[in-house]
Amino acid sequence: MMDVNTGLGLVALMGAAATIAGAAEDLESDIGSQSNPNSQVQLAPQVGVLHRIFNKAISGEPPAYAFYSSIAATVAWILMNANFNIIAAFAIGAFVASIFHGIYASTAYMGRIASQRRYGQPIYLDVIYNHLPPIMAHGFVATFCILGLSYILWHFFEHPFPFVMLAFIWGITVGAIGSSTGDVHYGSEREYQNKPFGSGLNAALSGKIVTKAEIGTRSSIDNAWFCAKFGGPATGITFGLIVFLDNWRTLVFDQFMAIVVGFVIVALLIVANWLLEVWARKSYGPYPEKLAMLEGGA
Amino acid sequence: MDPITIILGLIIAGILIVIGVHFIPVGGAPAAMAMATGVGTGTVQLATGAGLTGLVSAGYMYHFANVPMSYVLLSGAVGSMLMLGITMLIGNVIYIFGVGVPPASAKVKFDPITKYRQDIYVSPGTEGQGIPTVCFVSGIIGAFLGGVGGALTYVLLNELGLSPAISALIAIGFFLANAVLAAYNIAGTIEGFHDPKFKRLPRAIVSSLIVSGFIAAILVLAAMGGVVL
Repeated sequence: MMDVNTGLGLVALMGAAATIAGAAEDLESDIGSQSNPNSQVQLAPQVGVLHRIFNKAISGEPPAYAFYSSIAATVAWILMNANFNIIAAFAIGAFVASIFHGIYASTAYMGRIASQRRYGQPIYLDVIYNHLPPIMAHGFVATFCILGLSYILWHFFEHPFPFVMLAFIWGITVGAIGSSTGDVHYGSEREYQNKPFGSGLNAALSGKIVTKAEIGTRSSIDNAWFCAKFGGPATGITFGLIVFLDNWRTLVFDQFMAIVVGFVIVALLIVANWLLEVWARKSYGPYPEKLAMLEGGA
Repeated sequence: MDPITIILGLIIAGILIVIGVHFIPVGGAPAAMAMATGVGTGTVQLATGAGLTGLVSAGYMYHFANVPMSYVLLSGAVGSMLMLGITMLIGNVIYIFGVGVPPASAKVKFDPITKYRQDIYVSPGTEGQGIPTVCFVSGIIGAFLGGVGGALTYVLLNELGLSPAISALIAIGFFLANAVLAAYNIAGTIEGFHDPKFKRLPRAIVSSLIVSGFIAAILVLAAMGGVVL
């Protein structure tokens, strides 16, 4: 049995790796415009808004990252069995996954944009050249970190699931988190930055995304620059907290207490969410348009 | 454990998963643009993310010596609830501080739990935004049921004599099959147990009964017939 101090150090390391993985995953999905906000990028040319935003919804983020992580873990596993250095094996595994990522990203971009020819949306080759390296690089970082935390869980904590399967599962989880948290910042705020702060997207404005940047024409790299200030780190913190808290409770407490502590944390989360809701309602107040409708008897 | 018990257990696990998914507030693509209440992603993606995190916790707990089955199931539930709870909380942080909208449901005039007024807080031209308390609590209940369902599947497959790796693999597939069934029933978005779509639950349970029973029967027959997994 591992002593608690070493275990805590490893759990902290897993949490740190998860935080970096989450942030990199979310920023990659912003540069590549994957997942739900991409529905607006896809829709834009149909409402007459031509753009230079990358467009690659290869699949939902969870299956995509499960796929990259599994490829990386499989390659790393083979190399580890051939007595490669573990870190080098992770790096080579993540590199192979990023090549697959690049292939899928470029075919998805060309396929999607080519299908919009009838709306006059051009395929910009420089958009592919400029965006592919950051997409692959962020994917590399996310996959590398997922391999690291899966390896710690499998090797040091002797988790019964195989290493590749743990990487697969954490890939699904990081994709689900990135899609649920950081992407909201990209979809709700960055894509519609010219609309007033403090409102959801009015359905009538769907597809009318911002195409001008702080200087010149907006690219998806500009979007990552913006989302790196909030959405990306928030996603990282989410994944880091999940990995840290879930493993911390099973390490520090015995089996029964680990469950009790889990329930206590969940109760605290409910309270925190309620406090946040109360704060938002007090600070922002109701929408004047809705109050006016109410007073008008509508 | 005898085969009939395992089949019945797997059916119960499938039904728990399908019920759990109905509780999870998902707003789909519209929620990513703050156009609908719930988490801004797809039903299957979020439920699977939570369910599999629970599976990792349950798998870890199961392989301690002399652990009661209830601990394994609860561990799966806690893992799942933690994943979904933290995701919903930080999701709300982004809605509130990143987008500047208060969480509000468009399906009810008053939150059934806090009794707070909802309609005047819904951003004009949208179907609500963020994750108000009722949706959050509903999501936690859903994660609990999904986590127990996933963990129960894993435990039963181990009891059937399958290796931990294969049990986990089949449990993931089993979870996905049931989550997809629920997603078809939900058709895009659901806010939780207070959403009118929640009334569609019985037909999802019937579908899950058939699918889970079929999968369970094949698995038990394969294992009894000597297929080495």
